[in-house]
Amino acid sequence: MLQKREKVLLLRTFHGRTLRIVREHYLRPSVPCNSPLCPQPAACLNDGKLLSSDVTHYVIPDWKVVQDFLEILEFPELKGIIFMQTACQSVQHQRGRRQYNKLRNLLKDARHDCVLFANEFQQYCYLPRERGESMEKWQTRSIYNAAVWYYHHCQDRMPIVMVTEDEGAIQQYGSETEGVFVISFKNYLDNFWPDLEAAHELCDSILQSRQERENESQESRGKEYPEHLPLEVLEAGIKSGRYIQGILNVNKHRAQMEAFVRLQGASSKDSDLVSDILIHGMKARNRSIHGDVVAVELLPKNEWKGRTAALCENDSEDKASGESPSEPMPTGRVVGILQKNWRDYVVTFPSKEEVQSQGKNAQKIVVTPWDYRIPKIRISTQQAEALQDFRVVVRIDSWESTSVYPNGHFVRVLGRIRDLEGEIATILVENSISVVPFSEAQMCEMPVNTPESPWKVSPEEEKVRRDLRKTHLVFSIDPKGCEDVDDTLSVRTLNNGNLELGVHIADVTYFVAPNSYTDIEARTRATTCYLADRRYDMLPSILSAGLCSLLGGVDRYAVSVMWELDKTSYEIKKVWYGRTIIRSTYKLFYEAAQELLDGNVSVIDDIPEFKDLDEKSRQAKLEELVWAIGKLTDIARHIRAKRDHCGALELEGVEVRVQLDEKKNIHDLIPKQPLEVHETVAECMILANHWVAKKILETFPHQALLRRHPPPHQEFFSELRECAKAKGFSIDTRSNKTLADSLDNANDPSDPIVNKLLRSMATQAMSNALYFSTGSCAEEEFHHYGLALDKYTHFTSPIRRYSDIIVHRLLMAAVSKENKMEIKENLFNHKDLEELCRHINNRNRAAQHSQKQSTELFQCMYFKDRDPETEERCISDGVIYSIRTNGVLVFIPRFGIKGAAYLKNKDGLVISCGPDSLSEWKPGSLQRFQNKITSTTTGGDSVTFHLFDHVTVRISVQASRCHSDTIRLEIISNKPYMTADTELSHHGPLLLKSELVKEVTRSVEEAQLAQEGKVNTIQEEYEEYCQTKGRSLYMLLEEIRDLALLDVSSSDRM
Amino acid sequence: MAGLELLSDQGYRVDGRRAGELRKIQARMGVFAQADGSAYIEQGNTKALAVVYGPHEIRGSRARALPDRALVNCQYSSATFSTGERKRRPHGDRKSCEMGLQLRQTFEAAILTQLHPRSQIDIYVQVLQADGGTYAACVNAATLAVLDAGIPMRDFVCACSAGFVDSTALADLSHVEEAAGGPQLALALLPASGQIALLEMDARLHEDHLEQVLEAAARAARDVHTLLDRVVRQHVREASILLGD
Repeated sequence: MLQKREKVLLLRTFHGRTLRIVREHYLRPSVPCNSPLCPQPAACLNDGKLLSSDVTHYVIPDWKVVQDFLEILEFPELKGIIFMQTACQSVQHQRGRRQYNKLRNLLKDARHDCVLFANEFQQYCYLPRERGESMEKWQTRSIYNAAVWYYHHCQDRMPIVMVTEDEGAIQQYGSETEGVFVISFKNYLDNFWPDLEAAHELCDSILQSRQERENESQESRGKEYPEHLPLEVLEAGIKSGRYIQGILNVNKHRAQMEAFVRLQGASSKDSDLVSDILIHGMKARNRSIHGDVVAVELLPKNEWKGRTAALCENDSEDKASGESPSEPMPTGRVVGILQKNWRDYVVTFPSKEEVQSQGKNAQKIVVTPWDYRIPKIRISTQQAEALQDFRVVVRIDSWESTSVYPNGHFVRVLGRIRDLEGEIATILVENSISVVPFSEAQMCEMPVNTPESPWKVSPEEEKVRRDLRKTHLVFSIDPKGCEDVDDTLSVRTLNNGNLELGVHIADVTYFVAPNSYTDIEARTRATTCYLADRRYDMLPSILSAGLCSLLGGVDRYAVSVMWELDKTSYEIKKVWYGRTIIRSTYKLFYEAAQELLDGNVSVIDDIPEFKDLDEKSRQAKLEELVWAIGKLTDIARHIRAKRDHCGALELEGVEVRVQLDEKKNIHDLIPKQPLEVHETVAECMILANHWVAKKILETFPHQALLRRHPPPHQEFFSELRECAKAKGFSIDTRSNKTLADSLDNANDPSDPIVNKLLRSMATQAMSNALYFSTGSCAEEEFHHYGLALDKYTHFTSPIRRYSDIIVHRLLMAAVSKENKMEIKENLFNHKDLEELCRHINNRNRAAQHSQKQSTELFQCMYFKDRDPETEERCISDGVIYSIRTNGVLVFIPRFGIKGAAYLKNKDGLVISCGPDSLSEWKPGSLQRFQNKITSTTTGGDSVTFHLFDHVTVRISVQASRCHSDTIRLEIISNKPYMTADTELSHHGPLLLKSELVKEVTRSVEEAQLAQEGKVNTIQEEYEEYCQTKGRSLYMLLEEIRDLALLDVSSSDRM
Repeated sequence: MAGLELLSDQGYRVDGRRAGELRKIQARMGVFAQADGSAYIEQGNTKALAVVYGPHEIRGSRARALPDRALVNCQYSSATFSTGERKRRPHGDRKSCEMGLQLRQTFEAAILTQLHPRSQIDIYVQVLQADGGTYAACVNAATLAVLDAGIPMRDFVCACSAGFVDSTALADLSHVEEAAGGPQLALALLPASGQIALLEMDARLHEDHLEQVLEAAARAARDVHTLLDRVVRQHVREASILLGD
């Protein structure tokens, strides 16, 4: 029986009048208490998660503690936490959506031992607020009252500790009830968790920063920034079009001066602004930080500024001011922040000398974030000396208008500067990737597979699954040394003469039950994260490298898609989806498969499966396998041709593999080689994904997870068109078909790099492919632009991607729905799925960022130990792919590095090339044209660099203390680079025409590549250090595409 | 301040109810002696007064008289003090006209009008305090008043509103929930036969969810019926005791 009470609220209206509002408030005799000690669990309706029963006490944090110390309450060591509804509501009202969502997620997360008690809806816990009582006092009183009730409710069997920051409350309630203790949070940590070092440190640092803030607000000096406008004003302003809403994007290369606001939502429609809005200087940025959603006011037209097109480094803030900027663009200033997007930041403490120069206030230290785009943060700590050489994580607390820098607090130490582990940890934190090892609870859910009791196919499963072990020749093709095989293929001739093509994917969902600990963990991780030298798995290795991996010669569960194809036209006649049992016969690697395809059977010595066979059966088996691979390739070519007809794009990127020697030092950087068999496997996977997408969309029109690739904005292609024009090609970007065709035609026979660069520019201009729930957009938008398919999803790598797990569950539900069986899987509804897609997209982006950053890290480490003056490796051939006012951007095909090379150095000298084509620095001036840049010395000599010119560059590393090291390029000659031996053989090529020069370069490159191939085979023992990155070319292309698209610098596209 | 959370993760609404629970309903019949029938109802903080006259001869233009059945005339008004901000509400504004029409449709479906040809039944409803679900309160009050007047009806008409938040249907919306701007459905039901006397919806709702919301509203309307039935029986018992004495 509910009881009705009334609550009177006095609200202030928009016009400033007070409004008296009466709201009902219903109380009930029992709300879920979620305690295992509850005497009447049925009456309390305790479903959902319970507190664990092995705690010594329950802890109830006061509202102030929840607001300020939530970070500490998030520690998994703290158990038995009861959040009172009163406290949660105060977080919601006073701390904003971000922190409230954090709290909600904490409560939802089954791994954290905490529950919510809805005390305000409980008849005996609810206390009406008395007349004249302050909100704070009432909240504390309610929470205490609820704590006492809870104690008695559990029949006084479990002591309760209420932690509060209110001294008065400790005095008043401290000894009122036996068994309910009221102490301060600091006191609680000291007494109950003396060993939890991290929590103590965090607590100190939070307390200190809070104190600082209080002192500061009392001081209230002159304001550094204008105040933000209140939220209502902002919202009204955005509606009326006076302010514009967007996401702040700081220019990485000029973090101090330039930031752009990318328009968002409705505001971009009615205003006729197309481009981003420039925010010039820190004052105009008004305390917003990269990634925040801000409201911007446009400045009058005469104050508009242009963006700077010159290359520059971060430390030289005002250097660019002398340059003439490009044409003015819309410029604005930030008037308010709608949503803060603060996260953990990795910072570095200033070195000793700098600390002294910072002067009197030694406790407050300004630290420099690793990310250039984040302003310096002021933190107060006594440990500054000790933390000198470490990378450290901090959080921002606030940014008052009186302070130049934001205030933050120290959280934890990552590792030493320049140490590989420390730097990798930095990259992970910067991308918010958590890599804690799998917990015991998760490992408990795993099936057993030990040598003593090996895992076996269970008889029940044998009954419900289709058995392909005897009937089908199944094999996998992967990179060498790959552990997590999640796709296998099969092809055979049916009795009626038709062909049957099968794609068999590891059945991960059989082992990972929905909402199990493993599932939740995998959902949080969303993807396996590949760094240059290691990987962080999404699933525990017992699954990813064991029971789910479709290794050769063992029985495995799979989810299969099988098509019946016409024997000659390869038209698809029938398709079958379902669970199967397979035994993969061969685990091939790409190179071997390619050799077999080319008819070279000598590679069979490398295939372990053939080793123990006698000559005759070996021959028969070999023929069977070669036929299968040949047939597959044939089918794949056919499907590919059909897709090409619709305008599928082939995009280019150079991926470099890092090779490490025994001591884990970087040995070499090797560009990857594409083979035809890569394409075959990729095509089969695309086909499977496409058909699965069709199936799940048909059965679940509003809640299927698909992947779409929106068509690109035409204006982004302008740079590509300009560049192509310089070489005399025309690129038609109107549709994916015309783009694909014109890219194919834009091929300079003398220089293959040009086509590669054009393709990578095309990639840069496109938007990202995204996961989405089909309920969230119209069917026309499902299209995948790059693959030219109307429906597409990810199905083929459930070991590495959570999206595929969801798709597997959807497919299984669709199959059982078709067979009129009840759907066992509890599927996500549209809203949850959409939320999940957003999460997966974010995680993917973070994984790609970190992969790119780790590759850059390795590149730097590779070149760091080499002396650029003497080492031959550091000199390489490069291609100019973009022109700036004081330099050019150069792409080095050998290493896949893109970088800037200056034509004008810091002293104002410009580059000039003598008759021997070697460069020198001389006084002079630069002149930039659309497709070339000319440097003229005062002596009158001039040298011109065109787009796509080959130059020789020297690679060096610019070390940086606070940030990541960067690669520096220096043009040392305006002629292509040739290795010593070819220079001998073609003596005097300098006199030859440029066509010939290019021909030579190409052959040099080929020689170089061949050489590397040799190195590769000699050093096979190093293979074990290589990672299994991207299991097929299709994956590889996907990764490359996203990589190139997500080039962080693309945000300041010029 | 973050936006209001209409339905918490634990399944509570802003005022502490769960998704399917009604607000507290209190009602009285026969509040005025002069009228043929009258009733007063409180649904949470929504308070409505209904008065019924008739059946009587057609007033005003005779031409309006219907040869085969009675004319149902409904008028709706709301007090100036019914909402948080005091506001004059003149008669005959769009909102009250619409509400009058809806009430008329509802009751033409429920009252056995063919028993009283060429006559008129007047239903006047006034909302004293509006806190969400005014239509439902008006219908429920008018039903009691019509019963009080002794006019034969097919069945009770019970009305309730329902909304849709976070893929859950909420029954009997309060003002806070209505103001959030989600879809809102008003249903008048004849509970014994399960026939719908009136169904109205504001805002857009995907058709997949309609059934769920409709089901919630119907269940709530049946609950209202149980309560109203209890009120009527109580009233009749009191009246018969008075008569018996």
